[in-house]
Amino acid sequence: MAQERFADVVERFTGGFAADVPAETIKQWQEELERGFRRLRNLHGLVTNPVEPKTGQTPRVEIYKRNKSRLYRYESARTHRTPVLFVPNLGISRPYIFDLLPGGSFIEHMTRQGFDFYLLDWGVFGPEDNDLSVDECVTKILPRMARRVLETSETDELSVLGYCMGAPISASFVASHPEVQVKNFVNMAGPIDFAKVGLFGLWLDKENFNVDRFVDTLGSVPADMVRAGFKLLKPTMDLSTNLNLWWNMWNDKYLEGFQALNKWANEYVAFPGEFFRQWVRDFYQDNKLYRGELVMGGRPICLERITCPVFVVGAKEDYIAPPECVRALIDKVGSREKEYIELPGGHISLIAGRGAAVHCWPKVSAWLGPRS
Amino acid sequence: MTDTPGPSQLFDQWRKQFEEGAQTWSRLITQTAAASPSPTPDPSAFWRPVLDQGVQTWAQLFAQTPASPELVTQWKQFLDQWIEAWSKVLGQAMGTEQFAKLMGQSLDQMLVTAAPAKKVVDQQIEQTLQALNLPSRSQLIGIAKQLVELEDRIDRLEDSITKLRRLAEREPK
Repeated sequence: MAQERFADVVERFTGGFAADVPAETIKQWQEELERGFRRLRNLHGLVTNPVEPKTGQTPRVEIYKRNKSRLYRYESARTHRTPVLFVPNLGISRPYIFDLLPGGSFIEHMTRQGFDFYLLDWGVFGPEDNDLSVDECVTKILPRMARRVLETSETDELSVLGYCMGAPISASFVASHPEVQVKNFVNMAGPIDFAKVGLFGLWLDKENFNVDRFVDTLGSVPADMVRAGFKLLKPTMDLSTNLNLWWNMWNDKYLEGFQALNKWANEYVAFPGEFFRQWVRDFYQDNKLYRGELVMGGRPICLERITCPVFVVGAKEDYIAPPECVRALIDKVGSREKEYIELPGGHISLIAGRGAAVHCWPKVSAWLGPRS
Repeated sequence: MTDTPGPSQLFDQWRKQFEEGAQTWSRLITQTAAASPSPTPDPSAFWRPVLDQGVQTWAQLFAQTPASPELVTQWKQFLDQWIEAWSKVLGQAMGTEQFAKLMGQSLDQMLVTAAPAKKVVDQQIEQTLQALNLPSRSQLIGIAKQLVELEDRIDRLEDSITKLRRLAEREPK
C-alpha cells in the first residue's frame, strides 16, 4: 500500500481551508526550517569534528622577553611616527582576544591604520613567579618594555594604551616615570577609582575578604579560582551564551567567531600570589592609586603628574570596571587635553567583536592618529 | 466531511511516519559504520522531505491565525528576557553585604581547613620524592626562581652597559 503523504493527511484533516495561505508565510517557515537543518549540521560538526580556531594571525616579531613576559611588534605600513605600547591585563586571560580573527582584530585594525603597534604579553605565570608584585611590573618590567619600544621604533616618545587592569598599572608607570616620554595615554575600561568598582569591590572589601590568608595558604590565585570569580560575577552568562549559540548556530560566520571567543573565554590565567596581594590591598581595598597614596620602587604615584593628552573609554554595560570608576581618571590627571567617551557594550565587547569594530576601534585610532 | 480523519487517526499517521523514519535512520547509521571509511551521515537528510511536507502544511494552517516564524523569534526573546530577569535578581542578591560576608566566611573556612591539609600533603609528597631520589616541586620552583633572578641580573647588566655606552658616546674624543 502506498504511503499517504503527510501533507495530504493534514490537508484532509483541515478540510483544505488553508489553501490560500500567503506564499510569504510559507517561505518564512521554509527558511526557518532550513536554519534548523543548518543548526543540526553545524552542531554535528561541532561535536564530532571540532576545529581549533586560528587566533592571533596578525604577523608579529618578538623583540624582547623577560621571564614569562614578551614584547611583540606587529607588522604595519607605518604612517604614524609615535609607536603605541599596548598594556593589557596581567593574569585572568590571554591577550589573543585583541587579535582574535582576521577582520575581527583590534591589533589588525591599529596596524592597518598605520600605527607601529607593540603588545606587552605578561605571560602565564607559574609558582616560581609568586613573588612578582605590582611594584615590579610598574618599576621594572614596564620601563624596560617602553625603552625597547623606543629603541626599535627609533623614536623618543611613545603612546601608552592600557586595557582593563593594564590601564591602572600603565597609568602608575606613566605617572612615576617622567624620564620616559609618553606622548599620549589611553585608558580603555581600566578601573581608576576603586571605590566605584561594583561587585568585585564589595566582595574584595577588607571586611569580607582576607587577602593575606588567601595568598599565604594558596601561594597564588589558581586559574580555576579566577574562573569561579568571573563566573560568579554573571552566573547566567553561560546560559545566555549557549542559548545564543543555538540560535545562531546556522550561521557559519557566527560559529567561527564563537569558537575563537569560546576558546579564549575558557582559558583562564592564574595570578602570582604577591601581585594579587598588592593588587587587592592597594587598589581594591585602600584605593591608593586614586587617593594618591601609592608608592612604588620609592616613587610616589600621583596621577596629577600625567600631563600628556589623555583619552578614556568606558563601556556602558561593563560590570567588571563600571564606567564611573573608569571615568575617574579624567578628574585626576593634570592634562589639559583630556576626553572621555562612553560606548555601548560590556568589558570584553568594548574591545572585541563586531560592536567593537564599529563603535570603539575607529574612535581610538581616530583620536590617536592626529596626535601620533 | 464524513471522510475527514479525526485527530487520533492523524496522530497514528504521524507516529507511523516517525517510526519508519527512525528505522531508516538506524539502518543508515549501521550501514555507514560497517562501510568505514565513509563520509559522516547527514542527520537531516532523511527527515528533510518529511519535515518539509509537514512544515509546509502546518504553515498553511498557522496562516489562519497570527502564527508565523516570528513566534520562534518571540520565544527566543522571551528566553532572553527570562535569563536577564534572573541575572538581575541574582545580581541584586550577590550585591548585598550579607552575600559578600557569607562568601568571605565560606572562603575563610575553606582556607582554614585547607591550609593544614595542604601542608601535610606537601610534606608527604616531598618526603616520598626524596626517598625515591627524585627532585621535588619546591626544588624545581627554587631552580626556576634562580633562573628568573639570573635573567634579571643580565637585564640590569645590559641596562648598565647601555648607559655607559651612551655616556661614552656623549664625551668628546
